[in-house]
Amino acid sequence: MRIFIGRLAPAALLAALAGGGGVVAAAGAGDAGDSAANALAREIFAQLIEINTTNSTGNVTTAAEAMAQRFRAAGFPAADLVVDGPQERKKNLVVRLRGTGQHRPVLLIGHLDVVEARREDWSTDPFQLTEKDGYFYGRGTLDMKSGDAIMAGTLLRLREEGVRPSRDIILALTADEEGGCCNGVDWLVRNHRELIDAEFVLNHDGVVGYSISSEHGVPQEFAFSATEKMYADYQLTVTNSGGHSSLPRSDNAIYQLAAGLLRIGRYSFPVELNEVTRAYFERMASARSGQVADDMRALTHAAPDEAAIERLSREPGLNSLMRTTCVATRLEGGHANNALPQRAVALVNCRILPGHSKEEVRQSLIKVLDDPAVTVRYVANDGAISDTAPAQRAQSPSPLLPQVLGPLESTVAAMWPGLPVVPFMNASATDGIYTRGAGLPTYGVAGIAVDRDDMHAHGRDERVRVAAFYRANEFFYRYLKALTAR
Amino acid sequence: MRARTFAAGAAAALLLTTVRGAPGAAADAAGASNALARELLAQLVTINTTDSPRGNVTTAAEAMAQRLRAAGFAAEDIQVLGPSERKKNLVVRLRGSGRHEPVLLIGHLDVVEARREDWSTDPFELVEQAGELYGRGTLDMKGPDAIMLAALIRLKQERFKPARDIILALTADEEGGGANGVQWLLQHHRELIDAQFVLSGDDYSVLTENGRPLFFKLVASEKVYADFQLLVTNKGGHSSVPVPENAIYTLTRGLDRLATYQFPFELNAVTREYYRRLARIESGQRAADMRAILRDPPDEQSLARLSHDPVDRSITHTTCVATRLDAGHANNALPQRALAVVNCRILPGHSPAEVRERLVQVLADPGITVGYLASDGTLRAQAPADRGFAPPPLLPEVMNPLDRLVAETWPGLTVIPSMSAGASDATHTSAAGLPTYTFSPLSVDPNDDREHGRDERIGVASFYQANAFFYRYLRTLTAN
Repeated sequence: MRIFIGRLAPAALLAALAGGGGVVAAAGAGDAGDSAANALAREIFAQLIEINTTNSTGNVTTAAEAMAQRFRAAGFPAADLVVDGPQERKKNLVVRLRGTGQHRPVLLIGHLDVVEARREDWSTDPFQLTEKDGYFYGRGTLDMKSGDAIMAGTLLRLREEGVRPSRDIILALTADEEGGCCNGVDWLVRNHRELIDAEFVLNHDGVVGYSISSEHGVPQEFAFSATEKMYADYQLTVTNSGGHSSLPRSDNAIYQLAAGLLRIGRYSFPVELNEVTRAYFERMASARSGQVADDMRALTHAAPDEAAIERLSREPGLNSLMRTTCVATRLEGGHANNALPQRAVALVNCRILPGHSKEEVRQSLIKVLDDPAVTVRYVANDGAISDTAPAQRAQSPSPLLPQVLGPLESTVAAMWPGLPVVPFMNASATDGIYTRGAGLPTYGVAGIAVDRDDMHAHGRDERVRVAAFYRANEFFYRYLKALTAR
Repeated sequence: MRARTFAAGAAAALLLTTVRGAPGAAADAAGASNALARELLAQLVTINTTDSPRGNVTTAAEAMAQRLRAAGFAAEDIQVLGPSERKKNLVVRLRGSGRHEPVLLIGHLDVVEARREDWSTDPFELVEQAGELYGRGTLDMKGPDAIMLAALIRLKQERFKPARDIILALTADEEGGGANGVQWLLQHHRELIDAQFVLSGDDYSVLTENGRPLFFKLVASEKVYADFQLLVTNKGGHSSVPVPENAIYTLTRGLDRLATYQFPFELNAVTREYYRRLARIESGQRAADMRAILRDPPDEQSLARLSHDPVDRSITHTTCVATRLDAGHANNALPQRALAVVNCRILPGHSPAEVRERLVQVLADPGITVGYLASDGTLRAQAPADRGFAPPPLLPEVMNPLDRLVAETWPGLTVIPSMSAGASDATHTSAAGLPTYTFSPLSVDPNDDREHGRDERIGVASFYQANAFFYRYLRTLTAN
């Protein structure tokens, strides 16, 4: 990992950091971007939001076909367009913009599926792109149909401009990143490696946590992901012989589960930094000021100050970088209003730091729960439940390649002068685990500015700033062009 | 009066003679009745009558109507009727001399859900194992339904002419659902079920401990049933970045407070009588504690000891308990909604509205909304302000034969009037002005009460004993 730090400190980056001590002006070159390109991106964006791609009632194939149709219409040869997958509703699109072949290809990945959204929970129809008060609302506006639209729009724009990139640009828009039977990236890696083989991968997913973090729309830093936490679900179960609810007994499955969840809610996993997060906090300490900068500095010392850790932990985004997190996301208990519950079940979702295993976290949960009546079992991606979890440790970071970072720094510097570019550990699981697992260095690069306190991905009223969307569209075009210029 | 007493004595003597004259025949009749009751129970258990797409109360009502027709009941005395296709009720009448107003027997045909995976046996099959009959509803209350039916069929086959019509109503949606049969019959066909008083079979009466009967419970008062919904909403978000405010944790904090809360102690006329009589049967610390809580003010330590027992706690307090949970919409998303159902059993004299206020105080968190869930499933911001009904008078025509037969069947056992903690259809008949008494002569150890739970069961011997008892009681009750 020394290599990593060495490569991460090119002169341009250090210069940018030196000049970026405070808040960076929102203004920069090419604010508006190309209006035709923006109109196209928006049109694709709206089209994708309207196609329900949830795992329940949705259809990813419909979205993949709709995008394929656009590429066909733009003149991409049939040979460079593949819509395929293991199941009728879960097909992926792979499209290739041919380059000069000077270098091996770059693979862009984005998932088309979205998490569930209930109309009654939302202020707007989640499956309509609604522009309101400077925001686009809709399921997937952040995670990640905005990114899909930007990548697809950029590829179409490069094609129309007749750009001959120095390497093939492959775009894969895929299924089941959010869960479900048929993860598209996994399937492509296993079954059609030749279609997506590349020197490195850019993953547009991960607006959640890494991207441009902003405050009231003013960008604070440009984060790119070089590693990610490992995703794991656990099922907590309490059983009881139940009985008639008119005679409440001293032990109750729901109360036992509730007490256990309260212990989990209060528990914090130990703070642990790795090379990426250490570099993140070091750089952010320089980029920010005041108490938070001091605390970040204190965190990176050999013996971190407890008070500093406590203050940093209050910010959810920073907390998730410092430690493994586990949070209750679902509950189910009882079978009738008038019967004592025979079962109470909670789903606890964990994001595990690199170097730790799912089984290790399961053991920690058992210790925290401190109640043999609560069983903790592992829930695999396919929903299968097992008594123990895999012992495999979370992947280590991808090496930072200068051919990826150089153009990134120069593009960011041109569009957002002074904005620090910081390495990041993605707290959310992405399809990057499959490409990294296949030996392809993978970086999360998005460029969509999201306010720290306005993260609605997976929640209700998911939204993205209209201006941030267009600016990210322009950024991605410029970055991809710079990346494949030579 | 004299003449009537004489007549009664003559009838009893006649019966006695018959029994003496043909002991084999009487034993055969009792055996045949037991076989029939068990056959009816097995049939009822096999018919899924849950309030779910798989359940159908009408199927059970029709099946029993068919049995009654086959036993010789006239078509006009058998009605299968109700507000919806799957929720029909059976009403049958055994015609009597008309000397007195009818007696109405009520029993519900529906059962609560049972999941095969939670049970050791198939809940929708009657399975005998080690002297026990297992199946959903064996106790609550297809066992009592079968016993009431068997008694009626036996009386019919014996060409018995009761002194009052005996009406039996087997009904839908006592356990929930939108089509409560008793309520519907009272509202739409009062003439079919009008009676001087009502006997409900919806509670076992012989409470046992280690197989030994303790007392015979006659329910003459009921708590008020109320469901509340606790709801927490949150804007949610991605589960990779947990935020301090979490709908599930807010809800569980509230449930944690509710788990340790106890409503105030309170006695009424029935529960006072209950403890007064029970104190004579019990011994040692328990008897002393019962006497001590009857004092004014009650003894705190005695109350604390008694309240440790779920039954005593429910008799002396309003109780509220969490029965269901539902939260979250995806494994990898922070929950936007977390909700719990809290089921309360409210002492007579108090209202659901009052209990709702108390829940709000106990939860002590404006982030938790407490709504009232009506029996038809609708959610309301406010709960009804109606208070529970006062107990009916203990009628001698009901009590005397009961006292006598209980003493004969279980020497030394006392009938103890009590208040039911489980609200039942007696609520509706009481509200309609019909004095209602609930008992079913099944023997159950309250420490092993599996009503609504998994592996619900009744003892085979207890079932047959209850069957014989109920037949005798009904015959005696309507003899003159």
